[in-house]
Order: sequence, then C-alpha cells, then structure tokens
Amino acid sequence: MKNRLIPWLMVLPVLVLFLSMTIYPFAFMIWSSFRQYDLSKGAETRFIGLSNYFQIFSDTTAVESFKFTAKLLAIAVPVELLLGIGVAFLIRGARGEKIIRSSLLIPMMVPAAVSGVAWKMLYNYAFGPVNWFLSLFNVSRISWLGDMNYAQLGIILIDVWQWTPFVFLMIYAGLQSVPQDLIDAARVDGADWGRVFLHVEFPLLRPLILVALVLRIIDCLKTFDIVFMTTWGGPGAATHTYSFYIYKVGVSFGWNIGYASALSVLLLLVSMLLVNIVFRLVRMRQQLGFGGEGE
Amino acid sequence: MRRLLVLAFVALVVMAFSAVKISVLCSPDNADALKWLAGEFMKQNPDIQVEIVPLSWEVLYPKLLQDLRSQAGSFDAFTYDVMTTGAVSFGLEDLGAFMKKYPELLPPDYDLNDFIPQVLEESGMWQGKLIGLPFYNNTMLFYYRRDLFEDPKLKQAFKEKYGRELTLPTTWEEVKEIAEFFTRKFNKNSPTEYGIALMFPRTHTLFYMYLLFFGEYRNAPLGIMRHGTADLEYGEYFTADHKPAFNSEEGLKALEMMKKLMPYSPDPLGSDYGETIEYFNQGLVAMVPQWTGPYLIFKSTVGADKVGVIPMPGRSVSGQWALAINKFIPEEKKVAAFKFITFATTKWADKNKFLRFAVAPARMSTLKDPEVRAADPRVPALEVTYVSQTHRPRIPEEPRLEDITVETFSKILAGTLPLSMDTLNDLAKKWQEVLGK
Repeated sequence: MKNRLIPWLMVLPVLVLFLSMTIYPFAFMIWSSFRQYDLSKGAETRFIGLSNYFQIFSDTTAVESFKFTAKLLAIAVPVELLLGIGVAFLIRGARGEKIIRSSLLIPMMVPAAVSGVAWKMLYNYAFGPVNWFLSLFNVSRISWLGDMNYAQLGIILIDVWQWTPFVFLMIYAGLQSVPQDLIDAARVDGADWGRVFLHVEFPLLRPLILVALVLRIIDCLKTFDIVFMTTWGGPGAATHTYSFYIYKVGVSFGWNIGYASALSVLLLLVSMLLVNIVFRLVRMRQQLGFGGEGE
Repeated sequence: MRRLLVLAFVALVVMAFSAVKISVLCSPDNADALKWLAGEFMKQNPDIQVEIVPLSWEVLYPKLLQDLRSQAGSFDAFTYDVMTTGAVSFGLEDLGAFMKKYPELLPPDYDLNDFIPQVLEESGMWQGKLIGLPFYNNTMLFYYRRDLFEDPKLKQAFKEKYGRELTLPTTWEEVKEIAEFFTRKFNKNSPTEYGIALMFPRTHTLFYMYLLFFGEYRNAPLGIMRHGTADLEYGEYFTADHKPAFNSEEGLKALEMMKKLMPYSPDPLGSDYGETIEYFNQGLVAMVPQWTGPYLIFKSTVGADKVGVIPMPGRSVSGQWALAINKFIPEEKKVAAFKFITFATTKWADKNKFLRFAVAPARMSTLKDPEVRAADPRVPALEVTYVSQTHRPRIPEEPRLEDITVETFSKILAGTLPLSMDTLNDLAKKWQEVLGK
C-alpha cells in the first residue's frame, strides 16, 4: 500500500501546481465566458448563455482586431519562414559563421517590452533612424505610428525582425544534422547546391519547418507586447491584435471578465482549428507518428 | 564591547521590524516629488517606512482596480487620476470619517479650506465623502517660443502676410494662422519646420486633447444655452442632464478644428506626450499645448528666456491627481498612510513640490506665495486656467467610454470615418449602451 502511495506523493506537488495554475484558470475562463462578470460593476455574476459570444460578432473592434491578426499571420509568418530558411542556408560555411549566427539571435533574446520601446524610437517621425535612412534615398518622412497602413506594416516588420531568428535557429540546427554522406552522394551524382537543397536537405527539414510554422502561428495569434509598447492598437483600430483587444476588455479599461473570457475561448478554438488544418494539409501527424490517415 | 555590539544589532533588527512599512503606488509624473517627500517624512517619522512605487499610467489604473476589487491590500496608499475617481471610490478610505476618528493625526495648520475649492471637490470628493487629498493639480498650458514671437523680423513678416500683429493666441483660429506661419511647408522662411506639436494618438491622450477644442465651443454662451453648465461629476462631454454633448454642432466644430491644425503638426496621430515634448525641445515646433510638468524640461533644454507660457487658447482640461488610502488594509497601516498623505499635502509640501518638481499646486496659499510667484512664471496662467478649464467624466464607466471614443475620434482624424453628425450620433449611441441607458 505504502509503495503505491509513494509515487503519487512524489508527483502531488506538481499535480497541485498544474491543477491550480493551468486547469483551474482554464475552467474558470470557460465558466465566466457564459456569465455577465464585470469587475468594474462589482463582483456579482449571472448566467447569460452565449450572449458574450454573440457580442463578439457585432463588436466592430473585435472584428477589426481579428482582421489585423489574420493579416499579421498571413504576411509575417510566411516571410519569417522564407527569411529564416534562406538565412540558415546562406550563412552555412560563410566566413564568420559563428559570429553571424550569434548576432542573428539577438532580436529573439531582447525582451518584447524593450524591443517595443526601441522600435518606437526607431519609428519616430522626426528623429527616428528609419526615416533618416529612408531620407538618404529621397523618401519623405513616413508616419510609422500615425498612418493606418504604415502602422500595420510597422508592426509586421517588428514581428518579422523579432521572430525570424527563431525560425533560423530551428532550420540551422536541422541543417547541421543532415547526414553529410547524403549530400556527398548527391554531389557525386552531379547535383548542384540548388538540387542538393531541394531534393536532399529540404525533405529532411520539412518536419522542422512544419513545427516552426505551427509554433509561429500560435505565437502570432498571441501578439500583444509590441502593440502595447508602440501603437496601443491605433490609429483607430488599425493595429489592434486580437490578444491586445482581450487585454483591453479584460484588464485595461473595465475588467469585463465575462466578455474577455469569451474572446479568449474563441481565440483558443481558432488556434486549435488552424493548427489542425496545418497538420491535415501536410499530413504531419502521420510523419511524426501521432496518428494514421483519416484521424 | 561584544555585548554592546550584539545589543545594538538586536535593537536595529527590532526597530526594522517594528517600523510600519507602507507602499504608495503612483504615476511617474508624481514619483519624484513623492520620493522626496517620503524622505522628508521618514526623517520626522522614523517609525514609518514609505516605499514609493511608480507605475506607468496604462498599468496603474488596472492595478488599482484589481487590488481594490480583490481586497488584497497589497499596497497602502496611491495616487489616482481624477477621471478614475468614480471607478476606484469603492475601495478608498473615507478620509473625513478618519479625520474625525483620529483628529490628533492631522498636522497642525493643515487647513482643508486652503485647497482650491474646485480641486478639492473634483479630485477629493465622491458622493459627498472625502476620499482623496489633492496632490497634483495638473492642467494643460500653452507653451511657445518667446524669442520667435518677439523677433521683430518675424513679427513684420507675419503682419505683411496676415494683416495683423503677431500676438499670443487666445482662440484656436488664431493658433491656426500662427501655426501656418511657423510651418516651413507653407512659409519657406519659417524658423521652425512645424508650427505646433499636437498629440492625437489612439490613447487616453486623445480623449483629453479633444476637450481643449470642444471646451471652447461647449462653454461659449451658445454652447451653455444648448447643453447647460457641465458639472464636476460628468464634465463637458455631457450635458447638464447627463446626456452626451459631443454629438452636436459644437462637437463637430472641435473635430474640424483639430483636423485643420494637423498639417501644421509633425505626425499628430503618431505622437504622444514624449514625442511632442521632444519636438518642442529640439526646436522643431514653435508652440505646444502640454501639461505643467514638462516646463522644467523646457527650461533646461530650450532655455527659460525662450519659453513662454500662457493659458490654453480656448479651454484647458483638468488632470488632477489625489492621494488616497486603501480601505482594505489593517488599521495600523491606515494610520501610517494617513500620516504620510497628509504630510505630503500640507502647505509646506504643496509649495516645495511645486518649486522643486513643478508638481502643480493644489492650495491657494501656494498660488499667492510671493516666493512662488517670483520663481515660476506660470502662476498667473495657472490661476486663470484653474477657473476656466474643462473636465473629463469621473463616473465609473469613464475608462470604457474613453476607449470607444478615442477609437472613433482617431478614425475620424485619420479619415477612415466621416467627420459627420451621423458618426458622432453612432458614438453617442455606444455611450448610452455603456451607461445602460
């Protein structure tokens, strides 16, 4: 009896932590999404069914936030993948490879709040280095934070700058583990670097690329910090990401926990859907052994 | 000797643990003054340790609301912004009742009647109770480059172009003309690249900036006739009977004027507090509407002889901060916190924090003090401004109203929503939904 209890006692602290820090908040979020729960109006709650969820679709700011997040996902993630793969491939064997490799990781290591402040200064209309650099090519000053289109582009650029190193790191590590004899064999058969990449290295890197894609999709949907530090969602609602809007609703201006929970649940469902779509499209589950065809 | 050292060590430890520790949350513009006052307070009260914790404006209000709602009592005192009065009032100690309970704790000659009456009412009172002590009687002033306005060549050039003297503006129409004159795109001989630094970002800044323009029309005789006199609870955004007032001719005119001024300002939709201060510091602009705090920065970077300050053309807007005590802390800490916040708002403190840190005064004695009047040229402008300034709502729904409003205004100014009565009526409808009416 004692022998059966000991393993449970060993894992009990972690189990309690997991239940209290993950399961309970998650369950609370689901519960409060069906309730009117506004802390700015007192701590009383009442059940209102799916009203919070229906409200999302009539809330123009929520819809605009969703649109911008989708735009960020559609533009930033593919660019990060292409750039990350390209850079990983190009610096291999280059002079100063180690220094370049370390330097490329710096954006990823900078805390998001710090990078937000830094980019706000870089984007400064009158004194920012970005506009100064563009002026060397006779480009007039751009309102990076005040023009709707440029503000969106600005946020996308920051995201690409910060997370391309992540993709680069994964692909670079993958390239290091490609068996050299396969490459040598392909070279002996007359393959140039392009064919070697396409027919030897890329197929072996595919699982890593897909993992990077999934992780970037999930992360992109959670984009909050760079918006918080630079544009605060403006001008208008141009750079409101979905996560930023959840913060506004749930924390910043009103503590509407019920509505924020509904927004969060919807985000979770969309994330799960997108990841599932990616898996199905590229049949990754089969490749990684998570399940067979048709599951 | 060894025994003495041990005893001294034990005594220190006992003292450290017996001292009451209080933490005071505040916004960054109050922090320097509060830290200095805390140091002075602790010299006189060695049994109380005060820790000042600055939090950015965006984080302070949610942090306050979260702590007060959960009754966690993780801090003891705090400064709150005037428009969040209603939202945080439920968690604030009733200072009137506290003073009656502990009359001996009030500093000698504290004199509540010395506070500027409107300031005490607006930032310290809520539904008849005294919940805060005015600390930072902030308002917006109009700073300008005195050397440029007094330059004979520029004055001559202005007169030739506009047919009138270059005088200090009293209305936004006058500002528009002067701003055009000082914008190089419209006047190639302008000494500055832009005329005025405006901040219209999609943050709470836009909510109060709008009042600088709306106030001029809202509080004009016709505006008063249409909307009634604004009260201190609902402010100029509302009519006297607490309906939205901005969906009106006056509201439209304000946005039109803001749009007209935008070409003379560097990136108004992308600029906030820090950016506009820097534009003025670097000589990029000739004028800037700003809070009282930046004056010290302007003095040291631009030069005291080059910086002029006048009341806001049109109307200013109040931005007071008050000190309050968390209701959900032990009595011993409330006593310590009360001692500190009353110390920090005495006549001596009010005067010295203004002289040292430019924290605008909340007491009449400070405004009348000859030493203060001689040391700071802003006092006459402040006296005029305090009487005529506009006010934001202080009701609990204010933060939410603010957010939906700045989104609409930002879209109007960016051109993605039409500048029309329909747009303002739609916004007013959203306000009614938030207010539950």
